Amino acid sequence: MIDFTFTEEQEMFRKAAQEFAETQVAPKVPEMEKTGKASQDLVKAMAEAEMMALTIPEEYGGLGLGYTARFIALEEISKVSVAAGMMLQVFALGIEPILKFGSDAQKKNFLPGLATGERLASTAVTETTGGSDPTGIRSTYKKDGEDYILNGRKCFITNSHIADTITVLAKDDENPKAFSTFILEKGMEGFKATHEENKVGMRGCNTGELAYENCRVPKENLVGVEGKGLGVALAAIGDVGRGGMVACALGLQAACLEVSVKFANERILYGKPISRLQTIQNKLADMKIDLEAGRLLGYKAASMQDKGERSSNEFAVAKYFTTEAAQRAAKMASDIHGGYGCMEEYAVSRYMRDSFVLGPSAGTSDIMKVIIARWTLS
Amino acid sequence: MGKSRGPVWVIAEQIDCRILEVSFQLIGHGRKLAAALDTTVEAILLGHKMEEHPRQLFAAGGDRVYLGNDPELAVYQPEIYTEIIEKLAKERQPEIILVGSTAMGRELAPLIAARLDTGLTAHCIDLVIDGNKVLESRIPAYGGLLSIICPDRRPQMATIATGVFPNPEPDESRTGEIIPIEVPKKIPRRIQTLEVVREEPEGMDLESATIVVAGGAGAGDPAGWRKIAGLAEVLNAALGATRPAVDEGWAALETMIGQSGKMVSPELYIGVGLSGELQHMVGISGAKIMVAINNDAKSPVFEQVDYGIVDDYREFVPVFIEKIKEYQGKLKTC
Amino acid sequence: MFKIVVCVKAVPDPKEACNIKIDPATKTLMRCDVPMVLNPLDKYALEAALQFKAEFDAHISVLSMGPPEAGNIVKECLALGADRGFLLSDRAFAGADAFATAYTLAKGIEKNGPYDVVFCGMASSDGSTEWVGPEIATFLKIPVVTRIKEIVEYNGQWWTVKAELENGYRLVRVQIPAVFTVTRELNTPRRLSFSGIIKARKKEITRWGIQELGVPEESVGLKGSPSMVSTIASMDSRRKVEILEGKREEKAEQLVQRLVNAGVI
Repeated sequence: MIDFTFTEEQEMFRKAAQEFAETQVAPKVPEMEKTGKASQDLVKAMAEAEMMALTIPEEYGGLGLGYTARFIALEEISKVSVAAGMMLQVFALGIEPILKFGSDAQKKNFLPGLATGERLASTAVTETTGGSDPTGIRSTYKKDGEDYILNGRKCFITNSHIADTITVLAKDDENPKAFSTFILEKGMEGFKATHEENKVGMRGCNTGELAYENCRVPKENLVGVEGKGLGVALAAIGDVGRGGMVACALGLQAACLEVSVKFANERILYGKPISRLQTIQNKLADMKIDLEAGRLLGYKAASMQDKGERSSNEFAVAKYFTTEAAQRAAKMASDIHGGYGCMEEYAVSRYMRDSFVLGPSAGTSDIMKVIIARWTLS
Repeated sequence: MGKSRGPVWVIAEQIDCRILEVSFQLIGHGRKLAAALDTTVEAILLGHKMEEHPRQLFAAGGDRVYLGNDPELAVYQPEIYTEIIEKLAKERQPEIILVGSTAMGRELAPLIAARLDTGLTAHCIDLVIDGNKVLESRIPAYGGLLSIICPDRRPQMATIATGVFPNPEPDESRTGEIIPIEVPKKIPRRIQTLEVVREEPEGMDLESATIVVAGGAGAGDPAGWRKIAGLAEVLNAALGATRPAVDEGWAALETMIGQSGKMVSPELYIGVGLSGELQHMVGISGAKIMVAINNDAKSPVFEQVDYGIVDDYREFVPVFIEKIKEYQGKLKTC
Repeated sequence: MFKIVVCVKAVPDPKEACNIKIDPATKTLMRCDVPMVLNPLDKYALEAALQFKAEFDAHISVLSMGPPEAGNIVKECLALGADRGFLLSDRAFAGADAFATAYTLAKGIEKNGPYDVVFCGMASSDGSTEWVGPEIATFLKIPVVTRIKEIVEYNGQWWTVKAELENGYRLVRVQIPAVFTVTRELNTPRRLSFSGIIKARKKEITRWGIQELGVPEESVGLKGSPSMVSTIASMDSRRKVEILEGKREEKAEQLVQRLVNAGVI
């Protein structure tokens, strides 16, 4: 039989994440909204709370908790700040290629620092040519003795300016069908973060461009087998990246519902709280249905992932559903709030902006449908 | 004829040789209980240089005072105080022991109750004798009023905060019997009060203020709390708090109003961002005019006040302050 | 090794406690699924123990009396850093007042073996009596200091603590073993951590019922409680309530006017 209950331990993880979000994340939100910059204090707090260590095995200084625990943490943090959730979700996305495809030496070298948050991770696939079809990228590598020389640019990269360890996908200079993934480190000659984006939503989660010009990367930094890098990048994005977005979207859905219920109970119209009006109840019910359904999709995929099964198709369904639902929820929350929904002081205006950034991150809804259709037809 | 009942006892408390108001209030109410039980009211007074003080307790309604007058008793010493009262209670078999809900009382009362194998009701807001001559201690809980009884064991014990009962009118002509008590020789001395430090209370005294503004959990954050404090300042009011506000760390424990805090009876009370929990509301039931500001129209607080404002206090309070200032300006120009 | 016992209680979440109401008809409590959480003040008691342990070689036992579900909050204490948990749980313990609760906890503490210090929260958020700490001390025949806000000296057999008083404090010297009940001023409790939760996997929770404690049934629970609830009444307001209507400005204007008319400002 299927058991849909969280374990006592998972409930405690949720509580720990909740406490962290309320006490450590919430106070940073106004500044993040104002500056649009990643908060160093928040990164430090996340590291102290062992948030980067969740998916890393204990032998490498991590907690070895797996994906459901990560999902719970992301959901609770995103309920308070989707930007913070996004930042954290991409740390894990950057860690995943090393975790799944890295050599023992690479794991020993990189994972302990990434677990403590001493080093921050990201993954860079997307270029101006797009992210969903990575075969179209223009970044190249070529062998030079024991090293590789990388050239190219990446854009829309989360954590671009704060990450120290970034797995980068590039194409063989001579063979357009061969891709490889390399670990680039901050400070490598010829490698730098360039333009920093100014997003409408998820403000405080850093997004920007990376450039590498004749960047010399030692062969020790090649992840997996040369020429088989596409699988490395896609596995990370499909399972961890997509999964993380589902948790972020669920957090936002829950936040929208919570503020809507509160506002609907407090706002008086015709002498009664508006929560007594059927039209408002209808919206609240819709949000609740979306949240319940989204959670089932998300946690089902996360539990498959914990069992070591491939879950990228299930996460594609969940990603489509929850990010669309988050946009619906933000719209309904805004509608319920009326004029207040347009005011900066009310969180719903932020939810609205954040919900729009959820869509394209880790693949748009249209791309999700392409993937889902491919899965269905296969 | 039924058997005669033991006396009603009040544990009197003194600080720097001044008997606290609550002790007189308990003696005053103790008289009513004693009348219903056809017995006497007696006080235990422990301190130093207290020879003259029993007079005040008689004037308040006491029939007899057990006086421990010794340098060792000058300040509250838990072991000695407990030992003396336990021994005395076992000898004299009081029917009821009333203790003030002060810092001392809250520690001493359970120590005595446990030694005497009996029950103790905390922070009562009323005490009555029921048809079976049993003490009913009333406490607010969960939006209702609980009556607690201790049917089988004696004494029946309760703690009561300052201001729950009125100050009795002193009758200087009353006299009574003083029974001296000795400090026991053989007691373990595992605990000593080395020093008692009293600091000047911050802000205006809640109990004597004519206007009290109180804030609750709805204040939301320290910035919100300052807004409420601003209202208190404009009205020259004392600022009080509910337990959740104290728990959040916005307000000091001394400013807590209610069953386990202070009882106040100002001319005007304004409650901001609080839900009207009975534990708080019993502390201000003596207010002449009560106002509540809360954005939840369904909040129970709106069933317990004279004037209700359903609005976000963050928006309303600044407007309200302006209107008050306008009025105060007019007064000055007249 | 220095042995510390921390007594904790599962209480209805104070944030949702206003949802617990008395049914005016049946005069019984309507709980409305309010979740049980660790009594907020008990976190400060546990933190006091953890801070001591950070400096000295110490072992922390957490003891709670409650229904089987209260195992959750004991587990939480283990995740926060306590070494061993005890849950005193038995149908016979139900309905206990502060006296019977303190008696049961004292018996549990004795059964657990020698101890040097017992920490309790000053009061529980649901009962808020402050009685359990001093009564445990009485049953254990050891001294107690309530409402401590600072531990000044804690090296050796005599501790010095500051205990809160109205507008001030008492400086108290006390010989351990002793019971201390703590206020929020004492420290800042740590938050749950993921690694703490993992460490708690290996920590044991021992469940003791009336058999294990070896106490007579008449001394625990409802039967062992000297005090009891006789009646529950709902309270009615004596005030005539007027909700002021209109725009914000108008409401403020009306309110000032009414207060002026009443002669209170």
